Amino acid sequence: MTVAETPRARRAGPRPDARWTQHLPPVLGVVAAVALWWAITVVFDVESFILPSPIEVGRAMTEQSGYLWDNTLVTLAETLLGFGLAIAVGVPLALIVTASRMLERTVYPLLLMLNAVPKVAVAPLLVVWMGFGQFPKVFLVFLVCFFPIVISTAAGLSSTPADLVELGRSLRTNWWQTFRMIRMPAAVPQLFVGLKLAITLAVIGAVIAEFVGATEGLGYAIVASGASADTALAFGAMILLGVMSVVLFYLLEAIERFFVPWADRS
Amino acid sequence: MIGISNVSQIYRTRGGDVEALREVSLDVVDGEFVAIVGRSGCGKSSLLRLVAGLQTATSGEITVAGTPVRGPRRDVGFMFQRPALLPWRSVLDNVLLPTEVFRLDKRDSRARAHELLDLVGLNGFDKRLPHELSGGMQQRVSLCRALIQQPRVLLMDEPFSALDALTRADLTVELQRLQMKQASTVLFVTHSVDEAVLLADRVVVLSPRPGRLREIVQIDVERPRSLGHDGHSAELGELRARLHDLLMTPEEVTR
Repeated sequence: MTVAETPRARRAGPRPDARWTQHLPPVLGVVAAVALWWAITVVFDVESFILPSPIEVGRAMTEQSGYLWDNTLVTLAETLLGFGLAIAVGVPLALIVTASRMLERTVYPLLLMLNAVPKVAVAPLLVVWMGFGQFPKVFLVFLVCFFPIVISTAAGLSSTPADLVELGRSLRTNWWQTFRMIRMPAAVPQLFVGLKLAITLAVIGAVIAEFVGATEGLGYAIVASGASADTALAFGAMILLGVMSVVLFYLLEAIERFFVPWADRS
Repeated sequence: MIGISNVSQIYRTRGGDVEALREVSLDVVDGEFVAIVGRSGCGKSSLLRLVAGLQTATSGEITVAGTPVRGPRRDVGFMFQRPALLPWRSVLDNVLLPTEVFRLDKRDSRARAHELLDLVGLNGFDKRLPHELSGGMQQRVSLCRALIQQPRVLLMDEPFSALDALTRADLTVELQRLQMKQASTVLFVTHSVDEAVLLADRVVVLSPRPGRLREIVQIDVERPRSLGHDGHSAELGELRARLHDLLMTPEEVTR
């Protein structure tokens, strides 16, 4: 019975060999990188406080897993809050900017200037203005994410396919109908381009903020363990940051595939 | 139903004025299917867009159902060269778009949309997204969308030109069947003599640069027509040849 069922079950689900070819390369890449790292520490006999081996990092991560986990949650919360704030402010601003040529010309140079300011330089100022709590971290994440979201949303809103614009005209849609039925949905794929770019920057923003005047978070953990020459722990924190970034990115991509299944096929 | 009188269209471009249409006059009666053929640059698409109210004529007047055309209107349906479907909407929701814009009764509209989809053979595809459909099927959806608001006049701008030859032939047959069923007034722009001969009651030949009305050919052949071996192939062949000659021989421009 089971023998007879196996091939049918296999045919019904996603094909296992297709899955393998999809997931094997990234796994191989990570394994190869770790192996190379390990080989370097062994071959050149590098001191642990300069470059710890993967095994030492693994040990540090398991021994201090509670500490790292708590700090991961702090950084994750800052990242997501800042990212959410950037969406909440960035998308409406993109709407305003694309609504009028004049506004666009007024706001864009300001936005560009704001984006050109090195965020590392702003971090200490934010502490002065907003204190040592979580808010300056969230705000820095917001500053970093905000720009790509505004730019990509604005680009999406102002590049509605010509045949759809014409369709709206032939139906005599008013401004609001055109916006709601045509321009806004047409801009969503572009919005996701900006969101994916922003989420990777968001994690970096949170860490930069935590370097200055923080008492928790993975950025703080890196600084603190670096100061006590516990490089293995610092590496552990960095690995978690990397993992967080990757997970958030692919999560967004999954959301995109779910809500915008037509995106790259039209 | 459609009145076009002394319509001229001049486009002002950086390289100087381009005369697209010169004093074109044409009357289309209620329920008539008129095809406009001509070589590229004869202004046939411009003429259609003028009737649709998508642009305004430099001079002359256009009326639909007795009232002058000032802009796009609800009693005129327009079908584009490309399907222009909203990729995020299902087939059914694409067909329903005009009814949402015009705020028509939802239940009636849905019933009518299903009826139309059945009519063009898309029964069961209502929940699909456009990218899951072939080009021919997409253009059928587009036809349903143009018909959903029950326009008095249907304007079609080379609607089958982006399709492969066989799909085109299929859709031509289908449109003929639809036309026999509901006899709406249609103005159909094409560069295909075959389509014109199969579908139209009258074929208007425009000559290019500037677009002028050259000749109107009456197609008094019984429907359904086909280009295959049936009763009318001789008559249709004769008309095709005549239209072909009209399109291929240049006419002296009288200034």
